[in-house]
Amino acid sequence: MSTILSDELLSELMAVGQLDVLVGLPTLNHADSVGPVVRAAHVAFNRELARERTALLNMDGGSTDGTPDIVRNASIVDRETLLASQSLRTRHRISAPYHGVPGKAAALRAVFAAADLLQARAVVVLDPEIASVTPESVAALARPALAGDADFVSPAYARHPLDGPLVTQVVRPLFRAAYGLALAEPLSGEFGCSGRFAARCLEQPTWESEDLRLAIDLWISGMATGDGLRVAEAALGPRRLTPRQRPAVAALVPQVLDALFTCLRLQETGWAAGSRAIALARSASPPPPPDPPASVDVAGYATLFREGLAALGGMLERALRPATLEALRAAAAVDGPLDVHDELWAAVMLELAAAHRHATISRDHLVRAAVPLYLGRVAWFAAELAGLEPRDADERLEALCLHFERSRGDLVALWTAPLR
Amino acid sequence: MAEAIFSTLRETWSGYVEGLRLVIPRLLAMLTVVAAGWLIAALARAITGKVLGWLRVARLSERTGAAELLRKAELPPAERLAASTVFWLLFLGFLLAGVDALGFSTLQALRSEVGLLVPRLAGALAILVAGLVVANVVRRVVLLAAVNAGWPSASLLAGAVYLLTMTIVTAMVLDQVGLARPIVLTAFAIVVGAVMLTLAIAVGIASAPLVRRLLDERMAARARPESDGSSHL
Repeated sequence: MSTILSDELLSELMAVGQLDVLVGLPTLNHADSVGPVVRAAHVAFNRELARERTALLNMDGGSTDGTPDIVRNASIVDRETLLASQSLRTRHRISAPYHGVPGKAAALRAVFAAADLLQARAVVVLDPEIASVTPESVAALARPALAGDADFVSPAYARHPLDGPLVTQVVRPLFRAAYGLALAEPLSGEFGCSGRFAARCLEQPTWESEDLRLAIDLWISGMATGDGLRVAEAALGPRRLTPRQRPAVAALVPQVLDALFTCLRLQETGWAAGSRAIALARSASPPPPPDPPASVDVAGYATLFREGLAALGGMLERALRPATLEALRAAAAVDGPLDVHDELWAAVMLELAAAHRHATISRDHLVRAAVPLYLGRVAWFAAELAGLEPRDADERLEALCLHFERSRGDLVALWTAPLR
Repeated sequence: MAEAIFSTLRETWSGYVEGLRLVIPRLLAMLTVVAAGWLIAALARAITGKVLGWLRVARLSERTGAAELLRKAELPPAERLAASTVFWLLFLGFLLAGVDALGFSTLQALRSEVGLLVPRLAGALAILVAGLVVANVVRRVVLLAAVNAGWPSASLLAGAVYLLTMTIVTAMVLDQVGLARPIVLTAFAIVVGAVMLTLAIAVGIASAPLVRRLLDERMAARARPESDGSSHL
């Protein structure tokens, strides 16, 4: 513990004493967005969680834009909050740098260590880049763990299947196929958990792995599938990100794929051995999906898919089975419509995951070569969903996830097969 | 007359038979040396592979990034590469010994000349191998970057970069070997200069407006991956 928490932070935590809810907030240069998140947490402390002993712990990775100062000084002096607040407890707010290699993994490890030290019943981790956080959402993530109903609480946002296709087409279905857990947002940076879950995460030797830095959010979600843990999903309404420059899709897809495949590798002894479907309690009925986001450039993506496949086909030969590559080439036929259907997409994702596991080609090249395939799939899925009602579109997405779930046997076989 | 013909034939054939009598044992000796060399080299390859496996070289090369570099260059894993190198070095040594066993003075003189070239050949070989690795990595990186940036003719661009890299590598290899150095350097300078001048004239002067218009049209008609991928998350 002393190697995870600095002496200064330890003494600050000792002054806090036992806790009911610890809200962790990992930051790194989030001066533009952290203020509202801190205020939401504090309103939740004073209103929704007024009877609980609470603290906010900001673990900062060395911000140079004054993020820790904003966290320390963020006020909640709006009239409505003051009138509605019924503060019954002392509210603690701690901001400290964390030890070790910079990255969210080290920050989360420190939050879990603090929760363990303070014997917190519930831990909520917030993402400073999610602008739609509200006091209600903070409480929604904390309550199932406080009530002893769940060990891990994942958010479920009201999103159309075409909003965040990297999640809906890649992360959600493959995570579900591997772990047997139908989380809507396995990649989410915000979640709630019990003190027991935090302690179990802390026990893992994986914290020392360099690879965890890539895959920390997914790894946390994967940890929820451990024996004896109960998982819940909290409906949090629409999700809005803070406006800031993020990587382009050509850089984002490799990052996410690398994180997903690395996470599967880190937790292979867990998911590849078991075959159970994990029960998921939804703390509230999921809201109906809203309207689709800005339309996908179907024609443009299709062009990039066709040209990318033609150029990278040779490289993909060592990652995909001949039949799958042949089917992709047929799907890319210039004179026909694009057809990256569910069965083909599942085969592609499973084989890419196995190729990453066995490093049949450079992992870096593999995830980059997958970008055109992803764009082709998104183009096909967007065309499929055109004209569908939101509810029907959601069912169409569920059909994809079920297809992946049924492919679990193939995934395990490919994953555990000796190197080709 | 007939006697003279028979005598000449007899001498010729007896010379051939004598020659064969001398060569066949040497040939057999060479074959046994080469065969034994192949067996020893194969055994050394297997032992090297086992020892490197036992020493967990694969894990070490993963940790140091060497394995990733080899994969990027489409080369086999480090332990297999090392084992193959041991095999070929040993086998080539036995091949040269086999040539010696033949006892032909011409071949021996040739071998001596090759022996003098060996240090320079080894250096050139090292440059060639490193150049191949670099050229392969660069080609694939350029190909992936061009495809994902939505550039037209990504394969052509990657191929051109590969060719350029290999041209430079070839010039370095020939320079290292020291064969006709002035000719090699002059030819290299002429080729590179000519290519650059051609490109400069074609793109910079003669067809700049046309190329600009063509590129504008081509690029405008294409979809490019978004500059901000947050909508995908």
